[in-house]
Amino acid sequence: MFRHSTLRYITLALLTSLALFQAFTAAYFGLEVLTEILILAMLVVALDLVAGFGGMVSLCHGALMGVGAYAYTTVSVTLGISPLVAMAGAVALTGAAAWIIGAICSRSHGIYFIMATLAFGQMAYSWVFEAPIFGGDDGLGGIPRLDLGFLGIDLNDSRSFALFCLAALGAVYGAAVLILRSGLGRSLSGVMHNEQRMRALGLTVWRVKADVFGLSGMIAGLAGALAAQHIMYISPGLLAWTVSGEALVVVILGGLGTLVGPLVGAAAFVLLKHELSAITTYWHLVVGLVLIGVVMSRANGIFGWIEARWGARLDRRLADATRKSAPEEVLNDA
Amino acid sequence: MKRAILAALGLATSLSVPAAATDIKVGLLLPFSGVYAALGNDIEAGFNLGLERFGDQTSAAFEVVREDTEVKPPVALGKAKKLILQDKVDVMVGIVSSGVLGAVRDMVHGAGVPLIVANAGNDEATGAACSPFITRMSFSNGQVNRPMGTWLHGQGVQKVYTLAPDYAAGRQMIDGFVQSFTAAGGEIVGQDFTPFQKTQDFGPYLAQAKASGADAVYVFYAGGEAISFVKQYDSFGLKTDLPLYGSGFLTSALYVDAEGPAAEGVVTALHYVPTIDNPANKAFAEAFTGATGRVPSEYAVHGYDAARALIEATKAGATDRASLANALRKVSFDGPRGTLSIDPATNNLVQPIYVYETVAGADGLTQTVLAELPAEKDPVNGCVMAPVSN
Amino acid sequence: MTHDLGFWTLQTLNALQLSMLLFLLSIGLTVIFGLMHFVNLAHGSLYAMGAYFGASLAAVGGYWLGFFLAPVAVAGVGVLLYSGLIKRMRRSGPMAQVLVTFGLIFALLDLTRIFWGDLALALDAPALLDGRVAFLGVEYPIYRLFVIVLGLAIFGALAFVLGRTQIGAMIRAGVDNDAMAACLGINVERLFFVVFCVGCALAGLAGVVAAPLLSVTPEMGLQILIPTLIVIVIGGLGSLKGAIAGSMIYGFVQTFGAVLAPQLASILIYALLAAVLVIKPVGLFPAKG
Repeated sequence: MFRHSTLRYITLALLTSLALFQAFTAAYFGLEVLTEILILAMLVVALDLVAGFGGMVSLCHGALMGVGAYAYTTVSVTLGISPLVAMAGAVALTGAAAWIIGAICSRSHGIYFIMATLAFGQMAYSWVFEAPIFGGDDGLGGIPRLDLGFLGIDLNDSRSFALFCLAALGAVYGAAVLILRSGLGRSLSGVMHNEQRMRALGLTVWRVKADVFGLSGMIAGLAGALAAQHIMYISPGLLAWTVSGEALVVVILGGLGTLVGPLVGAAAFVLLKHELSAITTYWHLVVGLVLIGVVMSRANGIFGWIEARWGARLDRRLADATRKSAPEEVLNDA
Repeated sequence: MKRAILAALGLATSLSVPAAATDIKVGLLLPFSGVYAALGNDIEAGFNLGLERFGDQTSAAFEVVREDTEVKPPVALGKAKKLILQDKVDVMVGIVSSGVLGAVRDMVHGAGVPLIVANAGNDEATGAACSPFITRMSFSNGQVNRPMGTWLHGQGVQKVYTLAPDYAAGRQMIDGFVQSFTAAGGEIVGQDFTPFQKTQDFGPYLAQAKASGADAVYVFYAGGEAISFVKQYDSFGLKTDLPLYGSGFLTSALYVDAEGPAAEGVVTALHYVPTIDNPANKAFAEAFTGATGRVPSEYAVHGYDAARALIEATKAGATDRASLANALRKVSFDGPRGTLSIDPATNNLVQPIYVYETVAGADGLTQTVLAELPAEKDPVNGCVMAPVSN
Repeated sequence: MTHDLGFWTLQTLNALQLSMLLFLLSIGLTVIFGLMHFVNLAHGSLYAMGAYFGASLAAVGGYWLGFFLAPVAVAGVGVLLYSGLIKRMRRSGPMAQVLVTFGLIFALLDLTRIFWGDLALALDAPALLDGRVAFLGVEYPIYRLFVIVLGLAIFGALAFVLGRTQIGAMIRAGVDNDAMAACLGINVERLFFVVFCVGCALAGLAGVVAAPLLSVTPEMGLQILIPTLIVIVIGGLGSLKGAIAGSMIYGFVQTFGAVLAPQLASILIYALLAAVLVIKPVGLFPAKG
């Protein structure tokens, strides 16, 4: 069961104000980086939903994002239908694809689940790579952005687009919280902790898993449609398994199953990548070492570490002030 | 290796020259990591050598900002935007993969920043997607392979089996060859496109080629796949009965040493061979080997000629984005590859194609040029070239 | 196109050769998983290191020096990894271990580039194994036959060690129930260490054996990782039988897929993997029921 602790509210407020500050003050390249972070954040929220709260560690979320991007592009460019319809279509299609994958993989666990999702991701990658209508290896260009002219907003402007992505991320985050707090979300956390028992209680376990996976897929699809609009060009590389692997790294780096943590992770990862690649072409080495260091520290990522420290400090304070009971929600989350 | 260490220490990130009359800021957009890192390094080495060699012919000074594309189109596009909007470069040089070129094309065209393509060969870039701001100093996929179809038929080869990786460039290269080979009266007895960068064993395809009754095999492979392919082709003993021909990237100077004796006797066609006999090439090859310890590859010459083109353009008086774009399209000079000029209809380079055989030399493998096929313009391929307004 | 018997013999040998190469790679990975319950994603990087060590050593003392010493060198890397990282991660969950090895992929890839550069290296087959031999009515490269024979020999040796020797019994006991095995007086920690190093050595061996067939490039480890994972998941994790069955399925599907259905060649194996996981969610021959 997901709850916002004080620390989580503070972090969210901090992240939002930093993003807004950046969006209004940054120069061109800063906006690019911000948009990249926001889109990655959407993807990792989707991944944390299934991996952190359902134990379904997926290695196909990158591919799902790619499906969203290709669906958006095919509908808007190849078929020439309005971007708004294309976006809705991309979200629906990716959700449906994810639901099917979730249903098929629901019987697998652990490494087998990872591999099964990888297989589906690679299938999508190979198919997109070879199908001529998707432009093959050379990809597709000339992708339009959503027209919000009726609101007086021009999304072709980088600042507006970054703000639009920020709003979308806010909506996605809210949706994820709602899903986790709903009956479905409670069933999911039950399934993660004891699948046998939930089955014995009469729950259709595969449906729960497939439903959440489908919802997560819709978020990934939205991220994909926005990524296509951001770059205005797509190529099969979007679907490669390393993208899914990187998304998983970001979730772990930030803090699995905290929903806020992956947001921190996304920002940290993109900034680290840009700073390092400006210095050396061997930045993968540094990222790899940082990842090893974070995992070796046995903290649940950056945010998990902060939460643990925060919790420990709170505990000490509680020990000092005897008889006074702690705010319940903080204890539950620590 | 030394360069690699410098890069690791972050010292090689920019190379600046003291300010002079005109300052031209150049954005070098190349893969320095990922599968094409070796290509990026060769192009950069060639480019730096070109600036060094011809730099004193112009009063302009060049400041180079280099960015790593990682061979990922989204990354490359982000870096291109940074170069254009933040670093405010006057001209961009580079791009190895066609996918990356496709990604940055609209950005470059829209912003009106001249781009000298130093490798990517997709036909569309100087065809349907051509732009007055994009000038190609490397090659186009069709250009390299088309002359070979006619030449090979002229050598008495009637039936050919083709093989290439299954992606856009692979198909364009093979299509270029097939067009002219069948036009000359030859017959294609079979074709296979192998999964790109996923094929470890070419054995199954080689057995099919052998069983097809072809006189020869014509292939396009590059990089690691080229090495695997040439070695496996030789290990099956096919070279004697079924001679191997191909696009010259197959036995590029960059990795022919890794292919070893397996590459001996393979005949291919390319726009550059390290042993072309002319003074410009001799000087270039000597300087390049002196600087890097390697024989120059076609990638190195792309970089070298890109630098030369840039210098020629500034000599003609170009100082900013628009004037550079205009001047680059009119560039023409004699370089290591022979006489080069830009086709104003497509902005693609017009250059001779060399048929060469890889042979054993005094120290390792070397190349013997068998024929120099005259330069041909590419078909316009739907290119409508808009003029650059100054 | 009609094909004679020789053609199919040739393709069968090709399939066997690819299968054996994958078997050498997957057996180390699957036994490490069976015993220690984590998937070493850096296994492919160890394979690449095997090829690089092999190429460097062969440049000094010929192919056979590389052949025998490269696996030892990679086992040495394994010792470093085990004592530096894996041992400390023993108590963390499998997820953490997978991520550490994911980080290792990045780190080892760049280390390879720093030490050996971006250019492809050469490693030629030794003169003894160069050339072709008439075999079952077809001319076949000796080196490929050598790979097949080597794979079968390693399979035989491992089947003997695991099935008939005391250390094999200890490993099987550890795979079945490591806590119980520890109670019976087996030094499970040391067993882990030995098995991990042997697994690394086998990855190194696969690298040096594959090098004359393929090219030695920094990305070779990343490119082989997915096929290896598919092999062990189809076969079922942790078992010798699973590794050999998975390798054979992969090798034959790839080879005959390329001949019979070239358009589907790259999708076929993923579809098969998905199908296997739907029917048998833990693979064909898992170590545990």
